[in-house]
Amino acid sequence: MTEALATTGFSREAVIALSRRKGEPEWMLQKRLQAWEIYEQTPAPLGRRGDLGTLQRLARFHFQELYPYLPADGNGALPAPIEEGLRDALVGASERSGLVLQRNSSVVRVELSEELRSRGVILTDLDTAVREHGDLVQRYFMTQAVPLATDKYTALHAAFWSGGIFLYIPSGVEIEEPILAQIWLDAPAAAAFAHTLIIADELSSARYVEEYASAFEGEQPSLLSAVVEVFTKNGARIEYTSLQDLGRNVWSVMHKNSIHEADSSVSWVMADLGSRLTFSNIGSNLIGNGSATELVGVFFSDQDQRFVIKSLSNHVGLSTNAETLVHGALADESRVEFDGMIRVQPGAQQTASFLSEHNLLLSKHCRAEAIPGLEIGANEVSASHGATTGQVDEEQLFYLMARGLPRDEAERIIVQGFFEPVLQRITLDSLRTRLRRNIVRRMRGGHESEADWIEAQERWEIEGVDEGAVSFDRPSEEEEIRLLPE
Amino acid sequence: MASELVIKNLHASIEGKPILRGVDLVVRQGEVHALMGPNGSGKSTLANVIMGNPKYEVTDGEIWFKGENILEYSPDRRARMGLFLAFQYPMAIPGVSVANFLRRALEAVREGPRPVGEENPSGRPAPRKTIPPSEFRNLLREKMKLLKVDNSFINRSINDGFSGGEKKRAEILQMALLEPEIAMMDETDSGLDIDALKIVSDSVNALRGPKLGLLVITHYQRILNYIVPDFVHVMFDGRIVRSGGKELALELEEKGYEWLRPEGSEVAVND
Ligand SMILES: Nc1ncnc2c1ncn2[C@@H]1O[C@H](COP(=O)(O)OP(=O)(O)OP(=O)(O)O)[C@@H](O)[C@H]1O
Ligand SMILES: [Mg+2]
Repeated sequence: MTEALATTGFSREAVIALSRRKGEPEWMLQKRLQAWEIYEQTPAPLGRRGDLGTLQRLARFHFQELYPYLPADGNGALPAPIEEGLRDALVGASERSGLVLQRNSSVVRVELSEELRSRGVILTDLDTAVREHGDLVQRYFMTQAVPLATDKYTALHAAFWSGGIFLYIPSGVEIEEPILAQIWLDAPAAAAFAHTLIIADELSSARYVEEYASAFEGEQPSLLSAVVEVFTKNGARIEYTSLQDLGRNVWSVMHKNSIHEADSSVSWVMADLGSRLTFSNIGSNLIGNGSATELVGVFFSDQDQRFVIKSLSNHVGLSTNAETLVHGALADESRVEFDGMIRVQPGAQQTASFLSEHNLLLSKHCRAEAIPGLEIGANEVSASHGATTGQVDEEQLFYLMARGLPRDEAERIIVQGFFEPVLQRITLDSLRTRLRRNIVRRMRGGHESEADWIEAQERWEIEGVDEGAVSFDRPSEEEEIRLLPE
Repeated sequence: MASELVIKNLHASIEGKPILRGVDLVVRQGEVHALMGPNGSGKSTLANVIMGNPKYEVTDGEIWFKGENILEYSPDRRARMGLFLAFQYPMAIPGVSVANFLRRALEAVREGPRPVGEENPSGRPAPRKTIPPSEFRNLLREKMKLLKVDNSFINRSINDGFSGGEKKRAEILQMALLEPEIAMMDETDSGLDIDALKIVSDSVNALRGPKLGLLVITHYQRILNYIVPDFVHVMFDGRIVRSGGKELALELEEKGYEWLRPEGSEVAVND
């Protein structure tokens, strides 16, 4: 391997070495070099004055101490933690129609059912896609959904991407069983770049489940840079679900965006539990008339974790719909910034857009900041947004305690209830279970045993909760904007 | 021996403002007491202080239950000793189903007063003796039938989106399920329609007996026609100023409260 790739630090030489190593066509090399130039010229986003300072902290991360590329080791066997993680995947071997496994810089496994292959579905690593479907990649890779110049981090991603997943679903093909992707980081001081490019042709549909995980010890941090680009052609439907459960020695930067043609929809489900620091951007560009998007988000932070979550519903076409619903709990000294934007472009009539974000503070030392934003350029719009941040209600606690429940249990039940409205919106049972379990464990300070869990699970299952009876909006605190033509 | 709730010279304040100014009261299992009095006189405060609401500060006096001074006990410990409060304004708890919550509560109450987790310095709750879901469901159904509560109720979130009357009925359902020794009903009758009042009163009367002591807080004679009290107390400005038999309630209905106003007390703000 060329020297520039084998040492720590990002450089122009390393960009060239990486592209050579992959034997890429000239256009991709040029794209990488262009991105590198932008990276060098662009300052890191620093957030606003007076915010919680997470982006500043990210900007000070020691990027130059990372290896830009980790070669896959020879025999292709998976280390035990990854084998295990794959066994416990959100979508089991018998339930999925496809699988992609990326370990550090390389995709090490790709599987697709024979049936889908014969119907023209393409699922490959991105290197293969560059070779075999160059026209599509050239057209869609970091051009529209997440343009490479979006910010300094996307520029770095475009210059150094490696591994990567390409999924193409031909017109009219509907994939019922989910496709699973697992992205693993198992080395310290590594930069891993996970790129997901999904093109759903007209009237096609698919469910895609992505898990980000890590398996290495020590303080020496690694970086995961993820970009997800989703294109839905006329009438296509994509359900994208991700679970970020990285170790506390991983920092991550994520950009996810969809570009919609008419009547297409994307439903995003995003759960953030792990990592030391995550900067997560999620957006939907509703360009085609009648397109729709939904974002359901769940997070739970503790210790010194920091999350910055930015969402954007960008309404361009006529009669587009967006709904963003995020619930998160913070414990210990963790900090979370949520920035949710609804943007209605001039001419985007009959837009309906809703956003609500609720933070629950479980300690005196955690801090949350929620800034819902609204920019309206059309006049036939129904939009509302609202955010709340609060502690567990003392009167609710007293009510449960007055019925005999000890304080810690009462608190746990209230927190579980707080998450329930968003959990109810998650269609993937295994993810709902995983999140509930995580909530129970964290509320028990990590003391949860198998028996505790079985008991907690049984509770949920006795009768369930009627979705209709659960209210998650607190209208009094919401700002409502309703503009209708005279 | 019948359990006794004994309140002695109880003083309590909220946010530094004195509300209870020396309450003396004894409620025994098997007795029904009515507590009446003008708005803001401190009736709900008394019930909340007895239950251990941390919002209130007890500045003087004692609360004894079953021979123990329970002032320092947590609300859950008091509940597990057999105290119950049907709230004037029950809290909604979104996302927590009535069934799950009540099963939990019943297990806790059956477990008795030993505080769970006390002997666990790890902070881990001690394993709890669980009630099998089927047994619990049957028990709950039975109580629901008694209170004519709709079946869908158990799947709903606690008090969330309940009408005023539904909340009150749900409180009594909880009381019927948890079988307390001394129960306080804080204005359970307000917000109930005439039929609901009858249903609730019938259920309470069905629970009446040597094992239940009741403190019924109300503004109206009507509920006392159904749940006939053994004693009636009138609270004014944080003190019980008059106690008597059931005829006292009738007298109040006729004359109002003013004639009982203690000397030197201000006119109530919201009356
Ligand atoms: N959070 C608070 N801060 C200050 N004063 C309070 C607070 N809560 C209650 N109070 C006051 O305490 C007094 C007693 O209230 P309480 O609710 O006990 O009266 P009540 O007899 O139950 O009245 P009602 O018949 O209207 O239910 C009232 O003057 C009320 O304004
Ligand atoms: Mg009251």
